[in-house]
Amino acid sequence: MSASPPALRVGGLLLAALFAFPGLYLVWRNFTEGADPAGLLISDSTLPPLWRTLRLAIAVSISAAILGTALAWLTTRTDLPFRRFWRVVMPIPLVFPTFIGAAAFIRTLNPGGIAYDALDNVGIDVTFELRGFTGAWLVLTLFTYPYVYLPVASRLRQLPGSLEENARVLGDTFAAAFRRVVLPQIAGAIGAGTLLVFLYTISDFGAVQLMRYDTLTRAIATNQLANPPVALALSLILLALAAAVVIVERMVSSRLPDGDRSRVDRAVEYPLGRWKPAATGFVVLAGALAIGAPMVALGDWSIDGLRRATGDGRPLTITRDDVVEATTNTVQVSIVAAIVAVLAVLPIAFLVARYRSRSGALAHAIVISTFALPGIVIALSMRFWTLRSDWAFETFSDSMTLLIFAYVVRFGSLAMGVTLIAVQAVPSNVRDAARTLGAGRWRRFFTMDLRIMAPGLFAGAGLVLLSVMKELPISLLIAPIGFSTLATRAFSSFEESFVAEAGIMATVLVILSFVLSWLLVIRKADHL
Amino acid sequence: MTPHALLSLLLALALVAAACSSDDGDAPTVEGAAAGIVDGDCESPTDTELTIYSGRSEDLMAPVFEAFECETGIQVVGNIRYAGSTDLALLMETEGDRSPADVFISQSPGPIGFLENAGLLGTVDSATLDLVEDQNHSDDGTWVGFSGRKRVLVYNVDAYDDADLPTSVFDLTKPEYADRVGIPPTNGSFGDWFTVFRDQFGDDIAAQWLSDMVANGAQAYPNNRSIVDAASRGEIDMGLVNHYYNYQEALANGDSHRAANHDFSSQDIGSLLIITAASVTATTDDNAAAQELVAYLLSEPVQRYLTDETFEYPLAAGVDPAEILPPLEALSQGTVDFEVLADGFERTTEIIAESGILTE
Repeated sequence: MSASPPALRVGGLLLAALFAFPGLYLVWRNFTEGADPAGLLISDSTLPPLWRTLRLAIAVSISAAILGTALAWLTTRTDLPFRRFWRVVMPIPLVFPTFIGAAAFIRTLNPGGIAYDALDNVGIDVTFELRGFTGAWLVLTLFTYPYVYLPVASRLRQLPGSLEENARVLGDTFAAAFRRVVLPQIAGAIGAGTLLVFLYTISDFGAVQLMRYDTLTRAIATNQLANPPVALALSLILLALAAAVVIVERMVSSRLPDGDRSRVDRAVEYPLGRWKPAATGFVVLAGALAIGAPMVALGDWSIDGLRRATGDGRPLTITRDDVVEATTNTVQVSIVAAIVAVLAVLPIAFLVARYRSRSGALAHAIVISTFALPGIVIALSMRFWTLRSDWAFETFSDSMTLLIFAYVVRFGSLAMGVTLIAVQAVPSNVRDAARTLGAGRWRRFFTMDLRIMAPGLFAGAGLVLLSVMKELPISLLIAPIGFSTLATRAFSSFEESFVAEAGIMATVLVILSFVLSWLLVIRKADHL
Repeated sequence: MTPHALLSLLLALALVAAACSSDDGDAPTVEGAAAGIVDGDCESPTDTELTIYSGRSEDLMAPVFEAFECETGIQVVGNIRYAGSTDLALLMETEGDRSPADVFISQSPGPIGFLENAGLLGTVDSATLDLVEDQNHSDDGTWVGFSGRKRVLVYNVDAYDDADLPTSVFDLTKPEYADRVGIPPTNGSFGDWFTVFRDQFGDDIAAQWLSDMVANGAQAYPNNRSIVDAASRGEIDMGLVNHYYNYQEALANGDSHRAANHDFSSQDIGSLLIITAASVTATTDDNAAAQELVAYLLSEPVQRYLTDETFEYPLAAGVDPAEILPPLEALSQGTVDFEVLADGFERTTEIIAESGILTE
């Protein structure tokens, strides 16, 4: 293992400093407002919600890891019917903003809801009501499993099947072959994805709020105006918790065995045989719950609204131009932010994976733990730092640059884990051969590394893309004034019960994410 | 087509669309709901620009701002940041004396109280303040109310008759309402309401009422909208909300909507009017134009629009509420005193947390 090039090291530290803006802002505000995070941590008002936050995050992490891995395996390594369709559909839940996704979920499945009534009519009496821990757990699992699904699916497509075949030839059962051969190879991807699920869950406000489960983020929200030092201290506790989890994950995953790095053009495909109906049923059920259930309510709201507006009811408050403008804005910022995010984390991934550099490890921890911060904190920190100097204020205030930068800081974490795995996936023997043949560093990077890393980089870009599309606090507060996205329009309409307008914007958002994930993620990754 | 080409095409289309959308016609006109507010032709645009932070949503306010631009020529459309009132207040507090906002519009009193404490609000002209009753503006003129939402009990019409419902919020702690009532403890307007409740009855009675509600099985919901939705579906029988949401949900969901508003006695604290308010900011660089906008919100056509189209109570003297709204009986409960609120929120938050309602 050679020492990292100084330019790369400096670049990594610079990036770390940029990603540290929100964390430094929090520390600064805690200090200047005289907040007492240490005292608050052990108080009776903090410990119960903190415990609930942890409990929920652990439960969601486990279930999302299992669901995401199972779906990834079924859609990439088996003869599941309509595989390509499922591959495009499975990442979609990522794009539901939780406030409207969870509300639509409730609207469809809870007592009096559309599906609930339909089941009732055919004589199936469902007595459950989604709320509290169970409700939050289910909704968050369904909305976050793509954090695991995307990296694992991209890893699985690269894995050679030869080892599995050998293991089976040598007498291992299918399950044993999976455990001994496949699992170690994808453990890194599962770990990276699950970490994101954990961090997302501890920062989520929309789902826990709608499911009425009292976690730390709810305490932060209620104290923001009433008692700012408490809100600031609680946010810092959240960040500290995230940092601790990230460090633990790093320690564990650096001990994982290095998988087989060789690459294949065609992965092995298992016939499901008599398990086919069960496997298909499982995938359909997951899709129906995660995408179908919210879409039923969103579609219902939209269609009611359109029917009303074309009839003689009250006209909609949005026009076609509004939808087009919001769609255009959403496409532009999400694509740009996705590309910039991957470029920004790539040097850090190289530092960590290739050179095991300490500055790289620091940058990596900062990038990932930032994901646990509530979006409003990141938005305010961006505004805060641009106000520190006239130059920054003139240059960045109300600019697209600041908006993209804020998105990258918030979601760089999503690209970080998969990019790191992608860098590790470049086999060292290939690298050595290229070096021996006299290829320069940049030439090696463009002709070899980039090609091998591509599926991972696209998975990372896809995660960022879908997340930016639904982002709210930054889009609302940091975007140039007058700039609206599909998510901000949906949010603003929904808050005041303009459910038809919100439904239309959210439906367009889902369709758009479907198109983009097909164009940018799936086709791209398949063709490389 | 290769993915590369598709992607380039998509980006190119996006750029063209963006370029097209930025050209404005030369003769200013207004369409849609805004046309119903404007009287006569539009003024030609002036160089004056205003930046507005609107805690009220675009669906409600865009026609008002378009009409204002048409009637005065002052440029506001495109200079409006729409977001939650709380988030905007936090943004303004972060921006401090560098805030670009000239006017702040709040959905509920809390964020205004917060900004007033931070010294970020200017003074509204006294002529504008005089358009509303004294209780609907602050004594020192930092804000003026321009529409109101009344606290009500929303209920499922298949489970209850209006006549059988109680006349006071204090009745909701009785056994017959056990496990039937939803309340939004973390919602801004509930916090405003409960702070006034505390102010009028004292902390002991207010805290007792809330813990009795919890003991009686009251359920916590995140906001007014979700309670109206749950009441309509029959998930709960009734809930404490403001009157506005049921009208919107009924309109959006048509016949399948099964909830209605019940008014407590007009003497009851449960009938409080929560007002939405506007302020000229302390940092405005065009005070005259900002004052003009705030005054415009209280003009007769805008007040008519707010009650006829958005189902709110008008606050300017001489404008009657829309016919479908129950009349306000002399506002006997008064409105929210923001001065009380500014200092009272911290304690309100504590009492709500201590009641245990958040974990119900």
